[in-house]
Amino acid sequence: MLVMRRRAGESFLIGESIEIEVLEIFGTRVKLGIVAPDSVLIQRKEIKIARDENLKAARSVRQPNISSLVNRVGPAESVKKLTDIPILTTKCT
Amino acid sequence: MMPRVTTKCFGELDYSPEGVFDFPYGLPGFEAENAFVFIEQPSTHPLIFMQSLSRQDVCFVLLPVLAAEQAYQLCLSDEDLLALHFPAGSQPQMGKEILCAVMVCAPDGQRPQPTANLFAPVVVNIRQRIGIQAIQTRYSPRHPLVSNHRPAEVAAC
Repeated sequence: MLVMRRRAGESFLIGESIEIEVLEIFGTRVKLGIVAPDSVLIQRKEIKIARDENLKAARSVRQPNISSLVNRVGPAESVKKLTDIPILTTKCT
Repeated sequence: MMPRVTTKCFGELDYSPEGVFDFPYGLPGFEAENAFVFIEQPSTHPLIFMQSLSRQDVCFVLLPVLAAEQAYQLCLSDEDLLALHFPAGSQPQMGKEILCAVMVCAPDGQRPQPTANLFAPVVVNIRQRIGIQAIQTRYSPRHPLVSNHRPAEVAAC
């Protein structure tokens, strides 16, 4: 990994068309300004990780998979019983 | 007459408007899904199913976070708290004020065993029925669910 030290107000370039400027530093947080072409996707890394996992998790939900999951974690008490949260209950399957 | 949702796994289910949870920002990858219901089936406790009201094919399997990781410590940022309609700096109580549950990913070719996403738990304000996914960078998005993990008693979410 390339490591670079910058002060507030300084910036660096990635290629010809991407500029990243350190705008402000307060304590443990840094405010950055990014200039890039519209075609470049800029996103927080943690949101990208969450998105990829969410898409994969949603695809993995199929009835045959569910019983194998129960073998891993259960059996246990109903969440509905433990909290006041409104949860629908299916008929026995 | 009660409204009805067509679910991915359980056919059609009647639900009451009091059982609908608002996700004002959707979820990463599902930004347009703002309304979900939670479903349990008696044979699969403590799993809960989070079904989108607008898309039948969008359903997640969730596990109360403490069933996946007994020592889990949720840390909500002020932004998360405000999105959930709690005051900044407050520490809402798990099981009483908030439900914290993690999405489970069933095994497939690339992933031999099921994993739980401890990195991005679903957190809901139980009373106000508002939910978000709260990023927890200290935890893994692919925490393996170990088969001998059988808690005698699952603490309240």
